[in-house]
Parts: sequence; C-alpha cells; structure tokens
Amino acid sequence: MVKKVDRKRILALLILILIMIVSAIIYWKYLTPSVKVLRVSTTTSLYATGLLDFLADEFKKMRPNVVIQFIAVGSGAALKLAEKGDVDMVFVHAPNLEKEYIEEGILINGTIFAYNNFIIVGSVNDPANISNCDPVEAMRRIYETGEAGKALFVSRGDNSGTHQRELLLWRLAELNATGKSWYIETGSGMSETLLVANEKDAYTLTDTGTYLKLKRENKLPNLETLVDEGFVLLNIYSAYIVNPDVHPHVKYDLAMDFLLFVISNEGQELIGSYGVEEFGVPLFYPAKGKENDLYSAWLWFANQP
Amino acid sequence: MVLSSEVLEITIRSLMISSTATILSSSWSIPLSLRLSSSHSKLTNLIVSIFNALIGLPTVIVGLFLYMLLSRTGPLGFLQILYTPIAIILGEAILITPLIVSLAYEVFYKARVEYWEVALTLGADTYQAYRTMLRETLSDVIIIFLIAFSRALGELGVALIVGGNIRGFTRVFTTTIALEIAKGNFEFALTLGLILLIIISTITAIIRILGVRRE
Repeated sequence: MVKKVDRKRILALLILILIMIVSAIIYWKYLTPSVKVLRVSTTTSLYATGLLDFLADEFKKMRPNVVIQFIAVGSGAALKLAEKGDVDMVFVHAPNLEKEYIEEGILINGTIFAYNNFIIVGSVNDPANISNCDPVEAMRRIYETGEAGKALFVSRGDNSGTHQRELLLWRLAELNATGKSWYIETGSGMSETLLVANEKDAYTLTDTGTYLKLKRENKLPNLETLVDEGFVLLNIYSAYIVNPDVHPHVKYDLAMDFLLFVISNEGQELIGSYGVEEFGVPLFYPAKGKENDLYSAWLWFANQP
Repeated sequence: MVLSSEVLEITIRSLMISSTATILSSSWSIPLSLRLSSSHSKLTNLIVSIFNALIGLPTVIVGLFLYMLLSRTGPLGFLQILYTPIAIILGEAILITPLIVSLAYEVFYKARVEYWEVALTLGADTYQAYRTMLRETLSDVIIIFLIAFSRALGELGVALIVGGNIRGFTRVFTTTIALEIAKGNFEFALTLGLILLIIISTITAIIRILGVRRE
C-alpha cells in the first residue's frame, strides 16, 4: 500500500512535469513573437540537393525575421502533411499525386518553379544497348535483355517521385517488371539504390543531382549516363500553398511572399546557378519563360493513370 | 565541414533533448516501478509483462502515434508542439518508459527482499523504507538512466517523425545521419556516427566512475 506521503510526492512530481511542459510551450509560443515561422513540407530527394535551404537563406537576407522550416519526407507524406494542416506550403515533383490534392481543394496557387531530367544510368558495357535511345524503347530493351538473363534493373520500390516515374515508363512500354528475377527493389533512397546498381552492374532510373554527386566522388565507377533525353524523363518541380479556407491557421501571406520570391527574376537566377560551381552543370533549370510548355507537360503527367 | 559549428550545435541539441527526455521519463517511470515492485498481485504481473513487451516497440510506431496525436487536426493539435524539440522530448520520454520501468522494477523487486524488511524491522516507516531502498539501489538506477539515455540519443523514428529534422531547430544526430546518407555523404555520416559513439561512451564512462559503486 502506498502511504499518503508517497502519494503527495508523486503528485508533486506530476505537477512539476506539468509545469515543465506548460512553461516550455509558453516559452515557445510567446517569448519568440518577433520570428515568423513558415513551414514547408518537401520530398527528401529535393531537400537533399540543398536547393531549398539555399533559397531560404537568400530569402532570409531580405526578411530576417522569417524562419523557413523544411520537413523532408516522401512525396506522399509531404502532401499528407498539407492535408493534415501541419505545414503552410509544399514543394514537390509528383504531378499525378499533386492532382488529387488540388482537386480536393487542399492545395492552391500551384506554381511550377523549376525542372530537370531524370536519367537512365547503367553499366558501361550496356548489355541492352540503350545508349541514347528513346526512354520507353530503352525500358523495352532492358526488359528483353533481363528476360534473357543478361541485364539487371534496380528499382527504388518506395513509391517516391522517382519510383512513380519508373513505373510510368514501364506502363508506357506496356511491360510489367514486378516480380521478375532480374528486377531488384531496394525500398530505399536514391544513393543506396545507385550503389546497388553500381555493385550489380545494373540499370536504374535516377535524378541528376544524386547521380552527379556520387559520380564525382568516384563511388559509381561502373555506371554511365545512357539515356538523358526524352519528354517522359522531364522532372517538374511545383510549389503550392495550403488552402487557408481548409486550414485557417495557414500563413498565407508569408507563404505567398516566399512563393513570389522563388519565381522572381532573382529567385529563378539562383535556381539556375545552383550546383554549377560544384558539378560544372546546373542541377535545376528555372521555369521562367517556359511556363506554358511546362504546364502542358505537367497536365500530361498528372493525367497518367 | 566535419567539425563545423553546425555539428557542435547538433551535438548540444541532441544531448539536451535526450537528457531532458530521460529525466522526464524517469519522473514517472521510477515512481511507477517502485509502486509495482511493492505489489504481488496478478494485475502487477500483467502490467510488468506489458511493459516488458513494449520495450521492443519500433520507434517509428511511437513517432507515428505521437504524430497523429499532435498533428493540427489531431486531438492534441491545439498545443502546437509538433515539429518542435518539445515533441521529440515527449516522444523519446514515452519511448524509453517501458525500458526504465522494466529494468527498475527488477532492481527494486530484488532490493525489496534485501532492504525493505530490514528497514521496517529497524523501525522505519514506509517512506523511510522507500528512501533506504532508493539509496541502496542508486548505482543500478544510474545505469538504467544511462541505458535509457543512450536509447533516446540513438533512436531515429521519433525524432524524424515528430521533430521533422528541421535545420537549426529539431535536427539531431540520428536525423542528420539519415539526411547525409540520403545526400550520399557516406563518409560524413560515418564521422557523425563516430562522434555519437564517442560522446555516448565518454558520458557513460564519466557517470559510471562518479556514480556507480563497486561492490
């Protein structure tokens, strides 16, 4: 049996904990009023390039009292956070997923701010002979060579933006590689997937940023860029604001300021120059001047099954 | 870049979050295990078994559960603590609760036999008996703190899901390592892992020397 005096002590302890938590919340909410926080969810691959932190730092130079917090998660989760009202803005590159949230009225002010290309990389020997051919034809050749037991393909298998695009390529080629012995699903990030492809002399679909980084560090000696051109490899990055009619606490004005900065002349120049110094080529191309073409491309991708 | 001020900042933040979580968790886990150790009912056995089983709960599950609670549209959304260090502290405190309760229960249960009866025979009241028992088991309790602290410092799921790995705000050791792996900076990730290991070993060594009595 616990005696009265112990009960009191336990109660005192509980009160102490409560005070700790409450004071922390009060501290957080009221003692830092001069700083405005803008929360943005985004995909890991985009965040890992460092572009978003770079843009946020430049924005902060003009608006020192604004803190932009990026939450980097998978494409699906990034949009889910917007639906739950936990972020003010979203930066993503998965048109077919974005479309659902636009239709539900959760995301507004959709703006394409940058683009680049996915690339198909593979063994230097290129057993399926896909070098410089059309991306969909490349997938067909990989399939045939794989069936013949002479090639392997490594897939992200994690429902990421890159994985979604790979699945679209298989669908366009009217083939289903899932479950084949030559089709390896890693279920992990792009870096890990590229390393697996390198070890196994296999083909894979990748974004340029991750590939160039690992290639430059000599971690992918067995891989080469084989296909880097074709409409279906276009990778379109869009920004959205969470609808304040759905989630009234969304900092719409602040989000709009950041969005306008990203598509301003200055922001677009920053995007186009990002990574040039490090990799010799830009990692992203600014959307400015190509808005209409990019939008029709976005529509096409968004409406793929 | 390896030993930049950002690494230092992440180190300090990680230590503060995990130690606060350990203290917070102990503040309810230790009284609970004391209480449990003084009872022999079937219900107590059941509760202890449940806590034993919960030790193995994946950290991402705890993180996801807490996310659902703390999300703006969740039941505790009004607190607005999602994606703050407070959320990580809370999550890690919950995560290590079964660990502390299970280990402390064993220690107190054994100590009861040794010290409890003796203390009562010598004329102590229940409160004094508890104190004697706590004093005698202090070495073991400190080791339990260390284990719990290491678990909190080394976990990834909770920090990633409810902390959000926000630069300069909720970025801790494990989330940084995960991000650097995603970036392909494997050497840097390994370096961070090494730093984490050195910190944990140093703290453990210091506390053991200071607080753990050799029998």
